[in-house]
Amino acid sequence: MKDLFKNRRLFFQIAFVLIALAFVLRLFYVQVVDTKYVSLARNNAIKALDVYPTRGFVYDRNGELIVYNEAIYDLMVIPRQAKNVDSVKLCELLGIPLERYTERWEELKDKKKNRGYSTYKAQTFWKQVSQKDYSRLQEFLYLFPGFYGQVRTIRHYPHRVAATILGDVGEVDDKTIDASEGYYKPGDYVGKSGIEKVYEKELGGRRGKRLVFVDVHNREQGSFGDGEFDTLAISGSNVETTLNIALQEYGEALMRNKKGSIVAIEPSTGEILALVSSPGYDPNLLCGAVRGENFKKLTKDTLLPLYSRPTLATYPPGSTFKTLVALIALQEGVQDENYGYVCSGMYFFAGLALKCSHHHPPIANVIQGLQQSCNPYFWQTFRNTIENPNYKKIQDIYGKWVEYCNSFGLGVKTGIDLPSEVRGNIPSVKYFNKLYGEKGWRSSTIISLGIGQGEILVTPLQMANLYAAVANKGYWFTPHIVKKITNPVTGKNELKPFEKHITKIAPEKFTYVNEGLFSVVEAGTARSARIEGITMCGKTGTAQNPHGDDHSMFAGYAPKDNPKIAIAVIVENGGFGSTYAAPIASLMVEKYLNDTIQTKRLPIEKRIMEANLLRKYGIVDTASASNTFFAKD
Amino acid sequence: MSNVFKYLQGDRLIWLVVFLLIGFSMLGIYSSTSTLAFRLQGGNTEYYVMKQFFYVAIGFGLMFVTHLVDYRYYSRIAQILWIASIPLLIYTMFFGTELNDANRWITIPLVGLTFQTSDLAKLALIMYLARQLSLKQDNISDFKEAFLPILLPTLLTAILIAPENLSTALIIVFTGVFVMFVGRVSLKHIALLAGSGILILSLFLTLLFVMPESALKGRTLTWKHRVESFSNPTGNADEEYQVLQSKIAIAKGGIVNLNAGGSDQKNFLPHPYSDFIYSIIIEEYGLLGGGVIVLLYLFFLYRCVRIVLKAPKAFGAFLAAGLGIALVIQAMINMAVVVNLVPVTGVTLPLVSMGGSSAIFTSIAFGIILSVSRNVELQSGEENLEMA
Repeated sequence: MKDLFKNRRLFFQIAFVLIALAFVLRLFYVQVVDTKYVSLARNNAIKALDVYPTRGFVYDRNGELIVYNEAIYDLMVIPRQAKNVDSVKLCELLGIPLERYTERWEELKDKKKNRGYSTYKAQTFWKQVSQKDYSRLQEFLYLFPGFYGQVRTIRHYPHRVAATILGDVGEVDDKTIDASEGYYKPGDYVGKSGIEKVYEKELGGRRGKRLVFVDVHNREQGSFGDGEFDTLAISGSNVETTLNIALQEYGEALMRNKKGSIVAIEPSTGEILALVSSPGYDPNLLCGAVRGENFKKLTKDTLLPLYSRPTLATYPPGSTFKTLVALIALQEGVQDENYGYVCSGMYFFAGLALKCSHHHPPIANVIQGLQQSCNPYFWQTFRNTIENPNYKKIQDIYGKWVEYCNSFGLGVKTGIDLPSEVRGNIPSVKYFNKLYGEKGWRSSTIISLGIGQGEILVTPLQMANLYAAVANKGYWFTPHIVKKITNPVTGKNELKPFEKHITKIAPEKFTYVNEGLFSVVEAGTARSARIEGITMCGKTGTAQNPHGDDHSMFAGYAPKDNPKIAIAVIVENGGFGSTYAAPIASLMVEKYLNDTIQTKRLPIEKRIMEANLLRKYGIVDTASASNTFFAKD
Repeated sequence: MSNVFKYLQGDRLIWLVVFLLIGFSMLGIYSSTSTLAFRLQGGNTEYYVMKQFFYVAIGFGLMFVTHLVDYRYYSRIAQILWIASIPLLIYTMFFGTELNDANRWITIPLVGLTFQTSDLAKLALIMYLARQLSLKQDNISDFKEAFLPILLPTLLTAILIAPENLSTALIIVFTGVFVMFVGRVSLKHIALLAGSGILILSLFLTLLFVMPESALKGRTLTWKHRVESFSNPTGNADEEYQVLQSKIAIAKGGIVNLNAGGSDQKNFLPHPYSDFIYSIIIEEYGLLGGGVIVLLYLFFLYRCVRIVLKAPKAFGAFLAAGLGIALVIQAMINMAVVVNLVPVTGVTLPLVSMGGSSAIFTSIAFGIILSVSRNVELQSGEENLEMA
């Protein structure tokens, strides 16, 4: 047979040896040269699971717990095990119509909406079942094979106040995910507003990783390396706020059925004692399963409960601004504290005839000027300041005047630790140049600034801060809500000290103005803010409002010497400052300093609490509206 | 040892290859069916390996019987078998058991056993080719007298298998060409066949990619996806997944490894015990273990060539050459799939992959080769006697 085969034998053998060689080379390539498959091999069997840290607690200034976490349950299901489910009973326990059950399954199975769907993998069937509902459901869990509850936490706010300050927690949006460089994943929860948002990094803690073996269906098979390579989740830091939660509650109660703000600051530190935005809402409304629905409701409400008025709403400061007008005049030396003025009830100036708001004796000094809140006195004071012969051009002195205002935090952001704050408005030189031409304006053109009207706009926070600076005789600290963040690992405070701002007014200039503000309450326009035993200083304001009734305002501080609290109150469309704002401020101050309201002042408290201005805001059914924003027990 | 070989006649080294391959097969199957055993057999991990052992025992019995039969009888048996295989293939095409869109299996009535008809047809065809080649040896260069009677049966069988199992059909044609080459068919004719084969194949591929997917019936879409995912690895996820997991298994094996039963990839590879068993073996026994398998097949081929050289009659030589080549080509293609040298096909690794049908027909093929070798040894024994 040899001759038959010989000539083709070599070819034949070479062919097969070459093929075999090809294998060995290929195997060598896959094993040794290309490292891709080795790393893929690791990914295949080991999966990193996230371990979520608990969010930090929030305390008020007295150590009272005001935000904590509450257990709720996500109802999970492993689809392939979910057979012969008593869906009627399940829907009944969840409180959903039966159609939702089938709908929910379709949603889960829709690969477009739910990319991670696998019949082996746990799917979230129903989110955020309350502890109460879950405990009922748990009894019947045996009727629903494949279903089980997974505990999660949501925020709970036991005091039901300070919603816009504390903020809320919700699912992270795409923008935040992109900006987080891979830290956040869809479905994670983050702070969406208030200090929950500002201090997200501290409150949120740091996720940990748990490495587990998984099988081909991605089911967990056990921990990898006995957890040696796992990283622990670091719980969120506990946050100590500056709020006095009792005062906050009291303030919200006083402001019920009124639109407006209360801002109370401790002058010596810049700590916010209370920051009321009214109407408020129960922050628990934005927690858990009800969040979406309630959020929609709150967004649509005409009274804008989600709007943080203390930092976002701006008002002409009105007479409360006269304090600063007087201080600037004193600092500039255009008049001294004993500058007097005879008010005839009318102010004639540059062809204008301006009226004083009321009749009062002649003004002998700045103290009486403030006490009577005499408009002509401050027009004259403002005019004296702007017409100072030491300055060549109005632009020079007005520019300086703006700087004085800025040094009190007006027309600039105060830097409060809340996500949004507006600057308000102190009109600039540029603004007037543009409006009237460089030579087209003089003191008479801008005279209304002298009584806090015209283009000037301030936020309630800025107003309170202004009076904190006056109380301090010339300086203020950046107002803030959070004073201490305790790192759970190091136990140290993570916050930097707050900045001290020195105003452009010398401390001695404040002495007479202080006296003046004291006499306003003792014997002037703010007598309704007078509290026996407390030396309260302040100034009412009635900001003209072209859209309706004037805004009632009061700003002040107490006690006169060694002030403990500076406060600003605005009640929209509340009329005179003495009607609502001044008594509200006095009640807040009394509550803060004395902790109780004197018996004889209780009728005032009652009158304020019962006052209902909702009709003025176009709400017809005032009884039901007042309860809209508060969850029922 | 010599006791054993009193009963197991023929080339002892081929017997050794058979035992070694079965050894690897059992190890691989025992390891890679563990997941399946837990899923379907309630953790009875011996279930599949025992079942396979049963098939191997049957196969071994058949191997034993076939190797004792004088190979000259196979000439006539080949003719009968091949003729019988044609209606069986047609029957399978229409009434076979469907698996992955392919009708590859038929059930033997009464017994209830299923088997893949293409396995039978392949065996029958190669035996028949050996017969035809030996009969036409006198005027082997004649186109009409020799080439056509050899080519046409090959094409007929291949065409009948192709719709359901294209890769096996291609392997059959490929093996046929090799056998013709060994059988001294004119190189001119072989070149002609190869040329037209390439032409038809490229025409077919063009059609596959020009025609809209909706017009592709049955398996044609699967073929297209396999070719696509091989040439452009972003197409069909399932095919790529297999290849990827297979490569991961290979990468995990390392050069030298001894980790019997320790494969992780058996949990990720679909059907790790059949078509992809080679990658599990590499994962557990390293490149060295994988290399040993390649060498075993090559060594087997070498022993077949030895038989061919020594065989006194053309039929015996062609029979051993054809069956040997067929088995080794099948093995090479299976391993080429595993290391992703060629697109995914559905061929098993002879004697190693799990599966009754394949084990039985492979055993028969080995038995026939051994029968030829036994005869060669008897002849040379007689020659030696004469010499002495």
